[in-house]
Amino acid sequence: MDNVWLASALWIGLALLASIISIRIAMSVALVEIMVGAVAGNIIGLELTQWVNFLAGFGAIMLTFLAGTEIDIAVVRKHVAASVGIGVLSFLAPYLGVLVYAHYAIGWSWPEAQIAGISMSTTSVAVVYAVMVETGLNKTELGKIILAACFITDLGTVLALGIVFAHFDLWLALFGAVTAVALWLLPRFAPWFFTKVGHRVHEPETKFISLVLLSLGGLATVAGSEAVLPAYLVGMALAPAFLSEPELPHRVRIIAFTMLTPFYFLKAGSLVDFGAVAASAGLILVFLLLKMATKFAGILPLTRVLSFEAREGMYTTLLMSTGLTFGSISALFGLTNHIIDQRQYTILVTAVIASAVVPTLIAQRWFMPRAVTVEEHRDADAEKSHV
Amino acid sequence: MFRRILIANDGSEGAQRALSAAIRIAKRFEAELHMISVEELPRFPASIDEVVEEKTAENHIFGPVIARASAQAQAEGLKLVTHVVPGHAVPTISDFVAGERIDLLVVGFMGHSALYNRLIGSTTDRLVEHAPCAVLVIK
Repeated sequence: MDNVWLASALWIGLALLASIISIRIAMSVALVEIMVGAVAGNIIGLELTQWVNFLAGFGAIMLTFLAGTEIDIAVVRKHVAASVGIGVLSFLAPYLGVLVYAHYAIGWSWPEAQIAGISMSTTSVAVVYAVMVETGLNKTELGKIILAACFITDLGTVLALGIVFAHFDLWLALFGAVTAVALWLLPRFAPWFFTKVGHRVHEPETKFISLVLLSLGGLATVAGSEAVLPAYLVGMALAPAFLSEPELPHRVRIIAFTMLTPFYFLKAGSLVDFGAVAASAGLILVFLLLKMATKFAGILPLTRVLSFEAREGMYTTLLMSTGLTFGSISALFGLTNHIIDQRQYTILVTAVIASAVVPTLIAQRWFMPRAVTVEEHRDADAEKSHV
Repeated sequence: MFRRILIANDGSEGAQRALSAAIRIAKRFEAELHMISVEELPRFPASIDEVVEEKTAENHIFGPVIARASAQAQAEGLKLVTHVVPGHAVPTISDFVAGERIDLLVVGFMGHSALYNRLIGSTTDRLVEHAPCAVLVIK
């Protein structure tokens, strides 16, 4: 479509449709955007112009940045053995398991198998967090350990994505050096700058964050790395600043979720080929089961070592088996950089989406630990005051 | 007959009518009156931000709803015990009914199109089916 306004109206119309559906069925707007994108891509065909690719790419960067800002370093420090142990195994076990399977069992080349391994290694912090809030577990020590472990897993994923395909040359050294300096300076400079410029309708704070993310992202791309790597690290560096000023992340989210992330998720969905889903349904199931099996092999024994109860261990392992955003970002990275083809992308993204749903439902249906509710806290407090 | 009555309130007009009915019934049976508002979180979110923003938005909605409902109950000489619980309406309310040993659940009727009801089904229908107690639907 040559008419840019009609083309953009189509994309925004699909994003609006996804929003309305997500409100009506209380499902994540991102997941609905992927599905709407898949239907539109297969039925009417969505043209991926340069501006769509820019908005989608920027959306992925903002999503990753925002994910990084949610990390609570204090919790990771407090539960360092459990969170780092579970988080590292949660990344390594599926990464290596899927890598070996994809290469030796189904004959994918090493780079293709790397993308498969990275896509399947992820854990969806968001899915885990939502389940925690619903059950009240986010206020317990177990919940905090699981969430901290999810961040470690995601860190492993973005590090792998940023390093495995990088060119080991001077550009990578320059990118590493500039990123290190930025990560050292940002926690000091950014809060001062935010205070100086204040909250304005023209959003100097968001512009500053975007400048940092796009500059480091550009440098990462030159080095053959991936722009989401510095975005996640910058998010982690600015996490304390975002935690102390809740209005700032709220405004950044509005910008990201209105104009950027819908393009990313619609694009990710539009590249799913329904024909390939039907033809490779068995392989999709194998990838899903392999992801869950390797997560179990890696995490479940460790939960025993860390003295989790059996039910808590199963629940933790199942939640760590979920995946969505980082998995789809990894698969799309592979497709965009011509490492995997559309059939392989379809297989991986569909397995990733299934991993957001299947382990969550199993965990909630059969392995929900008993959470302490607000009412029980109140009752306990009331009893104490009576005594 | 009814000792513990629960009104499910999402701030809608239907829920308001259900609240008025629940207050009358609670007065008549001298029952405890509870109100539950469910913070509906998105299923399978892609980012924590989605969950945080939805939860914050729901909190803003339920603040005035709870204040109005409490004042209405107080005007009738009743104490309204309010609960805001994150989750999904049907399982959360059903679990609450079971956990709190509620005798009667009062809900407002929410009309949808025939297509919506056929494809998705209404919350009211599913509560009637799943709640482990008597359910009164106020239309």
